Amino acid sequence: MRTNRTFVLGAALLALVVSACSPGEGESPAASTDAGASASQAADLPAITIGSQSFWESAVVAEIYAQALEDAGFTVERNLELGARDVTQPALVGGDLDLMPEYIGGLLAVSYGGEPTPDIDASLEALRTELEADGLVAFEPTPGTDADGFAVRQETADELGLATMSDLAEVAGDLKWGVAQECGENPNCGPGLERVYGIDYESLDLETLGACTTAIAEALNASNIDVAQVCTTQPEIAGFNLVLLEDDQSLAPAQNIVPVARQELVDEAGDVLETTLNAVSELLTTEELTNLGAAIILNGESYEDAAAQWLEDNGL
Amino acid sequence: MGAAGGCDVIEFLGEVAAWFADPGTWSGRDGIPARLVEHLWISGVSLAASVGVGLPLGLLIGHTGRGAAAVVAIANVGRAVPSLGLMGLAFILLLPLGLGVGPVPTIVALTALGIPPIVVNAYVGLREVDRDLVEAARGMGMRERDVLRQVEIPIALPVILAGVRTSAVQIVATATLAAAIGGGTLGQIIYIGFNVGDQVRIFGAAVVVAALSIATEIGFAALQRAGTSPGLRGRPYVPTEPAQVGREAGEPMNP
Repeated sequence: MRTNRTFVLGAALLALVVSACSPGEGESPAASTDAGASASQAADLPAITIGSQSFWESAVVAEIYAQALEDAGFTVERNLELGARDVTQPALVGGDLDLMPEYIGGLLAVSYGGEPTPDIDASLEALRTELEADGLVAFEPTPGTDADGFAVRQETADELGLATMSDLAEVAGDLKWGVAQECGENPNCGPGLERVYGIDYESLDLETLGACTTAIAEALNASNIDVAQVCTTQPEIAGFNLVLLEDDQSLAPAQNIVPVARQELVDEAGDVLETTLNAVSELLTTEELTNLGAAIILNGESYEDAAAQWLEDNGL
Repeated sequence: MGAAGGCDVIEFLGEVAAWFADPGTWSGRDGIPARLVEHLWISGVSLAASVGVGLPLGLLIGHTGRGAAAVVAIANVGRAVPSLGLMGLAFILLLPLGLGVGPVPTIVALTALGIPPIVVNAYVGLREVDRDLVEAARGMGMRERDVLRQVEIPIALPVILAGVRTSAVQIVATATLAAAIGGGTLGQIIYIGFNVGDQVRIFGAAVVVAALSIATEIGFAALQRAGTSPGLRGRPYVPTEPAQVGREAGEPMNP
């Protein structure tokens, strides 16, 4: 009972502090004129329907877009976790959605049959050409990328001095690898390791597990394997303090995140849409994305809280 | 529409046939032979372990009649636990020992899966042996060991072997899931098919697994027939004297 009462008291106090804070921000003269400006602007700004695919990263980035745009004065409707790309992309093209966080390589390959390369600019250029025909626009990409990658334990990295994939290539034969079942025929895995890093895939000591799964991260953390095929923003990388090796010779295709918006919306919304989203994208590094994933997947935070916290931490 | 659908099916089956005809399907790390051998040895070891644990347990419970509640519990747990969950559990539990990746968790999980039918059938088989026969055997001065070996087991053998058969088929079919936790097997080909979006391979490998399960069923059914005492086979045997039945049933074990 006592703890309960203390808790309620604490919560009430917290609520008081929070409510006291919000009007405080508006007290500065600049802010009050800003508020007036955005209020009058809100009448002109179009409402935006934001969608996302059905996994944490797409959803949290969409939520970050949503909150940032709300701060900028837009009215936002959220349609998060709609499904896979075969659902979201037609919705975006058809006008049911106005804005989506998308992956350069994924969208180019899956929806347009293009061939993404590790070259971000070239891949984005190719994507933009395709998008234009569908009346869509892609803004600036994040520095962070969610692609196939390889991780090792911190101790292995320290012992062998591993920071990049080129470092790993030199000791590849001494380590036990955990890779996806289909690694041998994935151009970004087995054949790619051979082509880009000169790693003799066929002679590797390897076990097969689902890539990007908790299982493969657990197996790496428990020293059952020494190298794991991961997704570069996989939450467990942060959770187990694993070391993601830098793809220094560019094996993985560009899977940086870009906001994809309908041209009509961009015309109506003007510069504020683009500048707001670009400001967000600029700060989303691979590490930041991984940490967001850890907050959501490992710590059970809601998309809303994780997005709000991230925006606050980054002063947006 | 219907015609087009039919054509699609025929075309698909043609692709599956082409996959089977492709030499690449039969070679390499993920070729059918390599994965089939892996599938068979993992299943074989698991079945041997299931029999090694389950049979003595089932015979003990069946012979003494004690622990029937345990049998019911084992049977129910065996039915309730999802196989994939069991594999995941074995994987997690074996990680700290460094055995989480590879065939070991699969074998542990398949063994656990294979035990219940063997225990239950051994128990039921022994319990169903006519009590008069068992009493007669004891009355003849047979030791408990011999009652079990010369009277109960020979008579219960078809039921016991039916348990092994159920267990074997379950193990062979379920071993497919091992690919999820690094165990390989024919399931690996199905997993790769899923991950690269190749339905031809998913279907082709599934056909191989199904054929293997059916072959296992047929093989063990033959074994079961062979293990049925001549006295219990086919034409009903009408006993005139209970003691004589005991002796005849005992014959194959004690020639």
